[in-house]
Amino acid sequence: MRPESMVTIENLRKCYGETEAVKGLDLEIFRGEFFGLLGPNGAGKTTTFGILTGLIEPTEGHISINGFDLLLRPRKLKARMGFVPQSFAFYPTLTARENAAFFGRIYGLRGRSLTDRIHVVLETVGLKDRSEQQVATFSNGMKRRLNLALGLLHEPDLLILDEPTVGVDTQSRNAILESLEALNRSGVTVLYATHYIEEAQRFCHRVAILDYGKLIALDTPGVLIQKFGRSLIRIEFQEVSDETLLREMERFGSVRVLDDQKRKIHLETDHTENALKSLLALREGRGVLFKTFDIVEPNLETVFVHLTGRSLRD
Amino acid sequence: MIQQIVAIIAKELRVLWRDRQALTLLFMMPVFFILVMSFALEGVFEAGSKGRPIGVLVVDEDKGALVEQTLADVRRLEGLTLIETIDGMTLTRERAEQLVQKGKYPLVLLFEKGFSERICKAPKDSTEEMATVQFVSDPATNVQLLASVKGAIRSVIERRAFLENLTHRLKKEFETSTAGLPALAKDLVNLSAGKRFDRILSGAPPEERGQAPVVFISTTPQGVRPGRRPTATEQNVPAYTIFGVFFIVLTLASSFIQEKKDGTFQRLLAAPLPPIALLLGKLFPYYLVNLIQIVLMFAVGVIFFGIKLGSLPALIVVSLALAAAANGLGLLVAALGKTEAQVDGFSVLLAITLAALGGMMVPTFIMPDVMKTISLFTPHAWALAGYHDIIIRGLGLRQVVFEAEVLLGFACLFFVLALWRFRFTE
Repeated sequence: MRPESMVTIENLRKCYGETEAVKGLDLEIFRGEFFGLLGPNGAGKTTTFGILTGLIEPTEGHISINGFDLLLRPRKLKARMGFVPQSFAFYPTLTARENAAFFGRIYGLRGRSLTDRIHVVLETVGLKDRSEQQVATFSNGMKRRLNLALGLLHEPDLLILDEPTVGVDTQSRNAILESLEALNRSGVTVLYATHYIEEAQRFCHRVAILDYGKLIALDTPGVLIQKFGRSLIRIEFQEVSDETLLREMERFGSVRVLDDQKRKIHLETDHTENALKSLLALREGRGVLFKTFDIVEPNLETVFVHLTGRSLRD
Repeated sequence: MIQQIVAIIAKELRVLWRDRQALTLLFMMPVFFILVMSFALEGVFEAGSKGRPIGVLVVDEDKGALVEQTLADVRRLEGLTLIETIDGMTLTRERAEQLVQKGKYPLVLLFEKGFSERICKAPKDSTEEMATVQFVSDPATNVQLLASVKGAIRSVIERRAFLENLTHRLKKEFETSTAGLPALAKDLVNLSAGKRFDRILSGAPPEERGQAPVVFISTTPQGVRPGRRPTATEQNVPAYTIFGVFFIVLTLASSFIQEKKDGTFQRLLAAPLPPIALLLGKLFPYYLVNLIQIVLMFAVGVIFFGIKLGSLPALIVVSLALAAAANGLGLLVAALGKTEAQVDGFSVLLAITLAALGGMMVPTFIMPDVMKTISLFTPHAWALAGYHDIIIRGLGLRQVVFEAEVLLGFACLFFVLALWRFRFTE
C-alpha cells in the first residue's frame, strides 16, 4: 500500500531578483517519515523551509500539506506544524518556562493544558530543572534544546527543523536527536535540514540532496550510497602536481582537482584497496610526497561529492 | 604582535566600511547637529539684534499724527521691526491678535483710539483720561525677551508722550500766567519756563520730570487666558515630555531589529498568527509606555511645581496623537534600519534634530523664517503648540483638534511608509 502523503511540493521556485534560490523543486514526504534535506549552505534548504512555514512567498509552484493547499489555508496548516529555526529564536531575558508559556499561548494553549505541555516539553529536552533559569545564562547546547522544545509545545503533526544541532556539544546533540527519534516513533512527521551526513544517515528514512536550489538525488540513504557512493581518497601533495601525475592517477579512479595549484586531489574509486596500492607504488617510484592522505568509506558525503564534485562543507 | 594589531585594525575598518549607513550616520550626525543647532540657536543669541530683529505688529486705532511721530521714534530702536501691514492690508486688532495667538509674532503694539488727543489734554494725575497703549502678547512667549522689547518700546513712547504733553502744558501755563502782563514780564516768564524745559530735556531725575501721560496695558489675545505668565516649568514640562516621548523611537526600533536578528519573528510567523496581530501586539506596549511617560512627566509638573494643566480632554487627545506619531516614527526607523548600529544612530539623530527643529530647545518664534517653516514639518512643533494652547493659553479641546489631527497625520504617514518598507525577516 502506498504510504499517505504529508507534504507535496510541486515545481517550487523562488527567485530573489536575478538569483534563483529554489529551481523547480518536486518532493513528496510521507506521513510518519523522518525526511532529511541535505545540502551545503546556499543549497536552498532554508528557503524551502521558509516557504513551507509561510514565511516566504514562492515565485511559482504548489505546496499541499495534509491534503490542503498551503497558500489557501495557511493558518489551519500552521497550527499543526512545528518549526525549529536555525537561530536561537526565543527571548534571552525570559526564563525557559516564560518563553514556553509565551509561545504556547501563541499556539492557543491556555491554563492547565499549557502548564502540562510546558512540563512535558521541558522534560523531553532535559531542561525541566532549569525551567526558572534565565535563558541568557544557558549554554549553547541548552539553548538548542530549548529551541527544539518550543517547537513541540502544541504537539505538531509535522515538525520542521532547520539545522537544529549546529554548534552544540555531543551530549546535547544526542539528546536532541534521541528526542526527535522518539517523536518520530510516536507518529510525528519530521522534516529535517542538515549538513551533518552522519545524522542524516542514522535517522532519516529518506534523504533529498539539494545543490544550488535543485534536487539532485532522492532516496533512502542506503540506496543513495549504493547507487552513487564510491570510496573517496583525499590527498594533499607537498608540492604542485603535474599533468602526468594526474593522468597516471586517473587509472585508479576519477580524479577531481580542488585547487589551482593542483595540490588537493579527490580520487573516487570503487576499488579502494587496489587504488591504495597503486598510489603507494607511484609515491615510491616518482618520489611524490603526500602532506595529508585519508580514505572515506562510501557514505552520503561521498554521494554528494560524486554528484556535485564538491564537499558538503565547501 | 604589531602585525596582529594591524590585522585587527584592518578588520575593524573593513567591518565599519561595510556598514555604510552606520558610518554615514557617524559623520552626518555631528554635521547635522552643528547645522541645525546653529541655525536654531541663532535666534537665542541674535534675537533682537540688528541682524535678526524681532517683528512687532502695530495696530493704530488712533490714526493721529502723534502715533506717526512715536512710531518713527520706535523704528529707530535697534533690533525691532515694526509691521503695520500684512499682505498689503493694514492690521486690525483682531488680525494682529490672531497672528500672535498662532505664535507667528510675539507682540502687538496697539495705540488705542484717542491716543494723540489724550496726550495733549491729559492731566498729570488722572489715569481715566490718559492715553492708552496696549501690549498684546502670547503668554507662551519667552518672558525675558518680551520684557526687554516692551521696556525699550515703552521708554520711547513715554518720552515722546511726555514731550508732547509738556509742550501743551507749558503753552497753556504760559498763556494763563502772562495774561494781561506787559511784554517785558511775558519775556521773563518765558525765559523761566524755557530753563525748566531745558533741564527736563537734559535728563532731570524722574521725580522732577513728572510721569508721562500714558497708560500701558499688557494683555493677551482674546480668548487666551490672561493675566498669567508661563513659568519655566510650564514651558519645560511639555517640551521635555515631547522630547522624552520620541526617545521611544530608539527603544522600539532596536527591539524590532533584535527580534529580526534573533529569529523570534520568524518563529512567530511560522505560527498561526496574522502579521498584523504581531505588529499590533508588538507596538501596543510602546504606545502604553509613551502614555505612562506623559502622565508621569505632567504629574511631576503638577506635584512638584504646581502647574495647572488646563483642559484634561484636550490634554488626553493631544497626548494620544503624540504617542501615535512617536510610535509610527519608531516603526519607520525599524523598517529602514538594517543593523543595530544604524538604528541606534538614526534614532538619536532624529530625537535630537527633530526636538531642536520643533522648538523643544529654542522657541520657534525666535528662529529664522526658514527654520520656522521647517519646524512645521516636525510632529514636535505641533505637539508643543497643542500643549501650550492647553496649559499656557488655557484653550480647550475644540481649539487643539487641529494640532491633534496634524499629529495623527504624521502618525499615518509614518505608519504607511513603515509598512511599505517593513519586513519581519532579515
